[in-house]
Amino acid sequence: MTMDDLAPRIAAYLARKMPQASQIEVSGVSRIHGGASRETFRLSASWSESGKSKTRPLILRRDPVASLIETERDIEYNAYRAFHPTGLPVPEPLYLETDLKWLDRPFFIMEQIEGCSAASPFNAEPYGPLAETLGRQFWTHLGRIAAADPKAIGFDANMGDIAPADCWKHELDKWEKVIDEDELAPQPVARAAIRWLRRNPPPPPPKISVVHGDYRTGNFLFNPEGHIRAILDWEMCHLGDALEDVAWAADPLWAFQRPDRPGGMIGRAEAFAIWETESGLKVAPERLRWWAVFNSLKGLAIWISAGKEYQTGANRDPVLAFSSWYCTDVHNRVLAKRLAELSRETRQ
Amino acid sequence: MKPDVDQVMQGFFGTLLMDVAPHLNAEYSMGNVGIMGMMMFMTAEEHDRAAEIRVAENTEMRALFGEAARVVEDAGLKARLGEAAGSRDASLRIKALDRANAALGGLLVELQTHAEASKAPWAGALEARIWDYLVAATERRKLPFPSLG
Repeated sequence: MTMDDLAPRIAAYLARKMPQASQIEVSGVSRIHGGASRETFRLSASWSESGKSKTRPLILRRDPVASLIETERDIEYNAYRAFHPTGLPVPEPLYLETDLKWLDRPFFIMEQIEGCSAASPFNAEPYGPLAETLGRQFWTHLGRIAAADPKAIGFDANMGDIAPADCWKHELDKWEKVIDEDELAPQPVARAAIRWLRRNPPPPPPKISVVHGDYRTGNFLFNPEGHIRAILDWEMCHLGDALEDVAWAADPLWAFQRPDRPGGMIGRAEAFAIWETESGLKVAPERLRWWAVFNSLKGLAIWISAGKEYQTGANRDPVLAFSSWYCTDVHNRVLAKRLAELSRETRQ
Repeated sequence: MKPDVDQVMQGFFGTLLMDVAPHLNAEYSMGNVGIMGMMMFMTAEEHDRAAEIRVAENTEMRALFGEAARVVEDAGLKARLGEAAGSRDASLRIKALDRANAALGGLLVELQTHAEASKAPWAGALEARIWDYLVAATERRKLPFPSLG
């Protein structure tokens, strides 16, 4: 399906969802890189309503044939729906559609945040002079996500209950299964990480929190004035230990050449202090240590899965090949060094 | 003379970024060209070193298995370690080296699991020896990343 084919089909869908509108036109449909688990399109919708012409820039996220990681689009859509009224900067979700007749695959449509950009996590200085102001907002917003009551905001819809003591095992089981299913060759470092994580379970968190699941450099939009306008890519969100997000945001992969400055923004100590203030929680060292090892393993699972998708021809998006080469390489190196240290500590 | 593969890959990387990408209108296509360019840059290095890295890893794992076979008590594992230690790379084609690397890597997982669970006097030293190998191997595989700044 070409972009020209998509526009009238999206317009037909919007006409069904907006009975008060007439003369609906969709233009400027353009695919963008926006989370490798869904095809993301930027577009503009215009229509007449009550005698007035209206225009709204939109984002359409459509399920792919195969992706970096399999996720449920209703979980992602519901995260936007839960957090949008809270004031957290997320795009307004508009329509979720699972009927294949419209665009052949399920999709959802949300507000397009204009005049903003996302930084590459593979840039030594992803934010330049905005690093400090963005860093403080980045950790403030993550603290607010951790502070949110999942039930009160409706985040937990369609999610099963989980006990604090089970958070670690639930996540580890999930990502070990991905490696079991998708590894194309034995992964000694990943397997050693899994064994260490099972031998050294973390203490339970004080409460069950919203976990974004992919909160990092590259997954938020900011404007030239240095304001974070949208936190994106909630594909892997779930209920669990809030320190999972803290450790992922501080993972060395996203810090490129500055592991002391998570995500290339502010230093770890300041970042964690902001997060503690906003969340009302503590960055407990023992739990953070476990989630840091876990997150590098989770990264490996994602990159291993991406490599399989590309290798088998299920998805030829170049970002999958890049992730498989470069990110696997980084996380294998990070984990090998860390696990070697932990092994020495255990044997002493 | 023919230009070396690394020169061609690095040249293509520059052409994609400087000559092709600026003429593309679609954002997604520009992003893809950027990614492909970066991977060509990495391929320039990988092409040159791929066989050497795999031969080095396979040789080191076989040596490690030879040492382990002398101390491990489990008869089945000892036999598999001895057999692997005596194997050789019959071909230097990357796919053949990768097949051998995967087989040896699978045995390494088994050996490391065994060492971690063992209270025997040799277990700590073997575990440390395996980590020395893994840290060195992952460092050796570090891919170059182009400086775009």
